[in-house]
Amino acid sequence: MPDNDAALGDLRVLDLAGEIGQYCTKLLADLGADVIKVEPPTGDPVRALPPHLDDGSEMSLYWLNLNTNKRSVTLDIENPDARPILEKLIATADVVVESFDPGYLDGLGLGYEGLSRINPDIILTSITGFGQTGLHAHYKAPDIVGVAMSGVQWLAGEPMDPPNVPPWRQGYISASIIGAAGTLIALFHRDNTGEGQHVDVSMQEALSLAQETAMQTWDMNEALRVRAGSRGVIPFDIPGIGVYECNDGHVFGYLGTPGGAPWSEMLTWMVEEGKAEGLDEEPYKTFIDNLNLRFLTGIVADPSTLGEKIQTMAHMVGILRKFTASKSKWEMYEEGQRRRLMWGIVSTPKDIADNPQLKFRKWLTPVNHPERDKTLEYPGPPYRFSETPWTIRMRPPLIGEHNAEILGELGIDKAEWGRLSQAGAV
Amino acid sequence: MTQQALAGVKVADFSWFGAGPICANHLASYGATVVRVESETHVDALRGVAPFAKEKTGYNVSGYFNNFNAGKLGITLNMNTPEGQGVGRKLIEWADVFLTNITPRVIERWGLTYENLSQWNPRIIAAYQPMQGYDGPHKSFLGFGAILTPITGYSYISGFPERNPIGLGTNYPDYVINPGHTLVAILAALHYRKRTGTGQRVECAQIESSVAPLAPAIFDYTANGVVQNRSGNHIPNAAPHNAFKCAPLTDGGRPMDERWIAIACFSDEEWNALAEAMGDPDWARDEKFEAFDNRKEHEDELDANISAWTADRDAYALMEDLQKRGVPAGVVQGARELLDEDAHIKERGYYVYLDHSETGRAAYDGPPAVLNKTPGKLQAPAPLLGEHTEYVCKEILGLGDDEIAELMIAGALQ
Repeated sequence: MPDNDAALGDLRVLDLAGEIGQYCTKLLADLGADVIKVEPPTGDPVRALPPHLDDGSEMSLYWLNLNTNKRSVTLDIENPDARPILEKLIATADVVVESFDPGYLDGLGLGYEGLSRINPDIILTSITGFGQTGLHAHYKAPDIVGVAMSGVQWLAGEPMDPPNVPPWRQGYISASIIGAAGTLIALFHRDNTGEGQHVDVSMQEALSLAQETAMQTWDMNEALRVRAGSRGVIPFDIPGIGVYECNDGHVFGYLGTPGGAPWSEMLTWMVEEGKAEGLDEEPYKTFIDNLNLRFLTGIVADPSTLGEKIQTMAHMVGILRKFTASKSKWEMYEEGQRRRLMWGIVSTPKDIADNPQLKFRKWLTPVNHPERDKTLEYPGPPYRFSETPWTIRMRPPLIGEHNAEILGELGIDKAEWGRLSQAGAV
Repeated sequence: MTQQALAGVKVADFSWFGAGPICANHLASYGATVVRVESETHVDALRGVAPFAKEKTGYNVSGYFNNFNAGKLGITLNMNTPEGQGVGRKLIEWADVFLTNITPRVIERWGLTYENLSQWNPRIIAAYQPMQGYDGPHKSFLGFGAILTPITGYSYISGFPERNPIGLGTNYPDYVINPGHTLVAILAALHYRKRTGTGQRVECAQIESSVAPLAPAIFDYTANGVVQNRSGNHIPNAAPHNAFKCAPLTDGGRPMDERWIAIACFSDEEWNALAEAMGDPDWARDEKFEAFDNRKEHEDELDANISAWTADRDAYALMEDLQKRGVPAGVVQGARELLDEDAHIKERGYYVYLDHSETGRAAYDGPPAVLNKTPGKLQAPAPLLGEHTEYVCKEILGLGDDEIAELMIAGALQ
């Protein structure tokens, strides 16, 4: 539904996208665009994906999250009888987002050329595994294939395991974020010049930057970063760096790095609680005073310089592990951070929901589903605007919920609508 | 040639490390003029982080830093001096977009709050990327990508259940998620300003931006009370769905010589095509693997059987064969494969090689989306520290030689 006071309140988007592109159209819809989701008469297949709402309703939470603020019209885009409606919709749209196999829409006369004949300044955003051109353009590319080919999976996991796929379709998410950005860059150009264009997004390319330094490391030094797991790049434990167990979960430490308090602050905490176990005496005290980024960078560059300090560090790690194991993860995180120590909680999904900061900022967003007499706490905004707030103003649509409304807006009367229904076009 | 899409957009980039600079990098790639503000007194730590160009030292040769700052004008400005803050204000008066991921405490000390910015330049779009947000009980908590990955839930649900929650081997949200969300927000605000003349404040708190993509896990808890755990490489709606070891590159036995292929079957059709590719072995026709639910139930055995088949095969040949048969498959590529082997990404010209005065020729990630009429382009390699200080003072801020000399004496341009 349009919301003219919103950032994208004057924008109409025709959403033909499958799973890979639905976070893109969600981003646009949540910023106010009127996103019309064109579903096959049987419904978007993504509606069937887990996790489901645990009330016997078969509602997909995965789908609900991706389809806030969208209107739904059912239309069989391959059916010639539906074509006049589709063309009318295209004529009113600013943007079309799609994720079909490259060339599929061309085959229906609805590729960029076809669309721009109907609507000359249209922006078409295509989001696929490998983009519109090139050797792999037609590869089947679910999330795992894009993630594998992007270089990101190669870096994740323990050396004894297969490389890890990141959770919850990070390839799709990245492709969608870049799809939304590309769409808005094209929109800026159209705002200035009146010219539309075709935006081509490849999941492989969109995610590729998340290789961190791996690409440059190979390019500059012919050295290959590999998955190093919990050890990271250093073949022994450094006190306060990495995953530490608490009495109810884990925290992750990065003590001694810039911005945070020095390791000696951690020692102060341990002494205060009577749990320093001699770390406030030599040789540990002096070692702790010198445990800083320069030292860390030095041992990464040349671990052989360490000598007996390896035993010193192993001893410290043992005592620190006893300390964290005596505390809850929230106490380690919040009290540690109050002391400006670089500790982070390893949050479970429950911890995210309980996080005091997110609660204070009302990140979770209640959305009412009146037809089920139910209010669900939706995941909230990735960003906040002072003038044009991010909102969920409309719960995700039922299949074809807005057929009558949208056809009415297009000036299609009931008799015509009945005829099209008979023909299976809508 | 048509001018670039964002030509004429002026960006004052007061950011550092990854999330901020990458966002401004993309703006520059599509034509914006980006002035990256740095200081010799507090150099962007990435300038000191590997990899470095071979046999080179100094602040200008880090591939980590350079890859996120192509096409920007670099100036040095000491914002801890009143004169430096004066130049900062001039930059903000010039800019359409202000961007920072520096900690709120410092931003407030420098007077770069939206309250001030909007007085100096009412139309400005001011984008802030604090770690936790500018309000709330954790407002002053510290962090960067390495800490953010566990805090935001990626670590807990990544990897195999029997392992520790180690994360993804990188500071994951720094590179696409946070810069990408901020980019979307800035562009939406630019469109709104075009329409209404009104600028605004945008806040992309990194914790909120990073947790948003994990929505399905969070939603499963808020709606169902289910706390999802690490589940390895399996997902509910495919089987198989994993990475399988192939013939190594050499028999040296080093991790870098490993070759893996990702294979996933979502439908019976894809499974049957995979079985056929494997030569229809008897095990694959066992009823244990007949329907999707059977395959799901016996997925570990399924994985083991497929692994035995891939073990001595060439990953690339296998990928081509499986894709030809309609089976989703992709080599688990490393950076070596992306730069040297991947003919597809080469054909598309994603990676761009630029000549840099100190590193020599080096690879950069190119613009992340292809726009057919106004393609993105990296205009120049990353700036040397302070490379454009004089140019920006003169040509962008219109300062005279005397003014610049005074600023230098006051230590403002360091």
